[in-house]
Amino acid sequence: MVGVKLNVVISGVGGQGLITLANIIAKASLKAGTPVVVAETHGLSQRGGTVIVHVRLGEVSAPLIPKGEGDLMLSMELIEALRYSDYLRGGATAIVNDYLLPPSLPDVQVPTRDEILKAMNGIKVVTVNATQRALELGNARVANIVLLGRALKEGVFEGFFGKEEVEEVLKEMWPKAYELNLKALNS
Amino acid sequence: MWTRRGSLGATLPKYSEVLSEEGKTEIMLGNAAIARGLLEGGLQFASAYPGTPSTEITEALSYFASKKGVPYVEWSTNEKVALEAALGAAISGLKAFTGMKHVGLNVAADPFFSSAYLGVDGALVVVSADDPWMWSSQNEQDNRIYGLHAFVPVIEPRGVQEAKEAARLALEWSYALKRPFLFRITTRIAHSRAPITLGKINLEELKAEPRFRRDPSKWTLIPEFARRHRVELLRFWEEVKGELSDFPLNSVEGSGEIAVLASGIGYVYAKEAVKDLEIPVTLIGISTPVPLPDRVIEKALEHDKVIVIEEGEPVVEAQLREEAQKRGSKTEIFGKMDGTLRRYGELDLAEVREAIGRTYGMEVERPKVREVPKLPPRPPVLCPGCPYRSYFYALKRAVNKARVEPIYSGDIGCYSLGITPPFEVQDIIIDMGASIGAGGGMAQAFREDPKRLIIAIIGDSTFYHSGVTSLINVVYNQAPLLTIILDNYTTAMTGHQPHPGVGIGAGGRPAKEIDMESVVKGIGVEKVLVADAFSIKDSEEKTLEAIKYVIEQRKPAVVIAKGACSLVALAHARRKGIKVPQYYVEESKCTACGICYKAFNCPAIIKKEDGKAWIDPSLCVGCGQCEQICPFGAFVIKERVPEWDQLLRTAKPRW
Repeated sequence: MVGVKLNVVISGVGGQGLITLANIIAKASLKAGTPVVVAETHGLSQRGGTVIVHVRLGEVSAPLIPKGEGDLMLSMELIEALRYSDYLRGGATAIVNDYLLPPSLPDVQVPTRDEILKAMNGIKVVTVNATQRALELGNARVANIVLLGRALKEGVFEGFFGKEEVEEVLKEMWPKAYELNLKALNS
Repeated sequence: MWTRRGSLGATLPKYSEVLSEEGKTEIMLGNAAIARGLLEGGLQFASAYPGTPSTEITEALSYFASKKGVPYVEWSTNEKVALEAALGAAISGLKAFTGMKHVGLNVAADPFFSSAYLGVDGALVVVSADDPWMWSSQNEQDNRIYGLHAFVPVIEPRGVQEAKEAARLALEWSYALKRPFLFRITTRIAHSRAPITLGKINLEELKAEPRFRRDPSKWTLIPEFARRHRVELLRFWEEVKGELSDFPLNSVEGSGEIAVLASGIGYVYAKEAVKDLEIPVTLIGISTPVPLPDRVIEKALEHDKVIVIEEGEPVVEAQLREEAQKRGSKTEIFGKMDGTLRRYGELDLAEVREAIGRTYGMEVERPKVREVPKLPPRPPVLCPGCPYRSYFYALKRAVNKARVEPIYSGDIGCYSLGITPPFEVQDIIIDMGASIGAGGGMAQAFREDPKRLIIAIIGDSTFYHSGVTSLINVVYNQAPLLTIILDNYTTAMTGHQPHPGVGIGAGGRPAKEIDMESVVKGIGVEKVLVADAFSIKDSEEKTLEAIKYVIEQRKPAVVIAKGACSLVALAHARRKGIKVPQYYVEESKCTACGICYKAFNCPAIIKKEDGKAWIDPSLCVGCGQCEQICPFGAFVIKERVPEWDQLLRTAKPRW
């Protein structure tokens, strides 16, 4: 396809700060002058359900990423990374929180971490101990920022927005928690 | 991970962009952009009932009103009342808005049809947020058809990017033409974010200056006047087809032998697809699907082939086919009616690209899609500390003790989540308020069966919305129905809006609190019991008493189970600096029986490899429910906090 665009799939469990993560990316893109559209999941799915957020950067108009055309995934949970991996094209990159949260159902059977990573073959998977790192920093809520920091380090947003814009957004959104967020971003 | 929301300290208010200065560009949620557009258009009155994906429009408006004092904003009891209120304001010369989800317009359909006959003296924009593929809804419904049916013109923004402008224009056109307008969006406009450049809000214009021109021949729909209105409405409909041709958000780009006619959000899909395909086509992008404007029809029928791209039902396509047939046109028309595009679900860029390509005569390959192995589903669940969990647990115990065969007549709200194991207390779900309505019918059907017990389960907001009238029917006809009203003092599912039982109005205004127990007794229910939903013992005893009453007396009974939404309680605790206690598992006492994670299923209780329970400290909110269900006393609280126990029983939403 022609044009410069980046299709980003954000996935995880409702409550993990996925919409916030997408919002930070959108605001950073605006600062960098990059066009952006974000499509979210609200309502019923917020309460511990599976969540996907579509973030499209660059020369785009439509809100949703077609299956097989995602360039990048940011996932806050392993099962939810695999669940939405069909949105990714072959050779895409996935930055995945190394954290497995079984669905809250009686007697649920879940795949292991290694089975999940094996099933993601053909995708460049980068695992990040985001939840663990956030807990070390004293607040589980900044796990999404740890994940974003790692994505920036991998250079996946190059040409769309940079770390400086993200730092500005964090400062504007949470002035009181800026230091903590900065530590998370840099860890 | 439903951890303590917002625990990072002060955050910017959710809708602060709605207050931003003219000329600034902000990342805005589609619904917030619509609110801003209405304000830029001079909105003076807003009334709505919450419903995903429409809620945030009114939330953003009430945020604005709480800061600026204008316009008037209210959460109404239900969508019918909301539309009537907005119509009343519009008859009084005000620029008014009402908003609802697609099925809400079914509730409000009666005044909606009448509004088309009457017209307005100010302006009336009715927003319908349709939800293709039912992300938070019970059906798929394209409410542009209501526009055709009721003779109300429909505006739909061409993507989130134009949502603000389209809303402003809808209000202005309604004011100019003195007719109600339907503003139709879908989920991906309501809940998408994009950069939006802001225009001017004139605060003076937002102040109400009501007037009423007394004229029964205009404002009353008795047959004599209604007949005249009907004829005038049909004349208006023909005229407006011409006027809508000039709607500023209709455009023609490029030229070619085939035309792509795209309406609403279909436009952004078509635009990107045409760009990707690099083919010469005429792209006609419209915001006015109903009625299809004359010049749009003429332009489209100049081509050999037209493909119509729209989200939902083939509303534009059907009108175009009708016009083509009437005009004897030879143009070939493609869309959803001939199977070129799928008729269910949301639009998909790959599918739109392929369909346009095929119509043009080129083969477009679909992207290769990986296979994903079968994974366990992850349905949304009741939050840790939800009073509905402890109540459902108590309900099932009471039903078992009474040895009755229950049928659970469910409803729309957080308690719908009781459908999943281990509770499975939602056997039917139909629409808002149907738990009592349909439950009453089932109770009459089974009235001669002494073992069968029909149990209606409804929430507080839904009860006020439309449960009240159904309960009157149940009492009037003496259906042997047990009704459970789960009262958490808020409309929780849509994000904690107040309702008539809360004592708070939109934007935090003080309001009259309507006492639920008095309402139920006033209706004439003779057996009414109020239970503490956090206390399994109290809930079980009262429910059992009510069950016995219905079985023995063959008369209706009501249990009101009270307990605050734990998310609301947590927000209060944070603000007041109240420490939220936590539980842990006393290893030596845990026998790995599994009651807590199988039969009770709190998300904060995790099964360890040895079968014993473990409490995830990031999830536990110290509600004390697990302590009541463990027969071995294995759940131990670190420190009791009486203020917290009090908050869980009393917390109401706060602006």
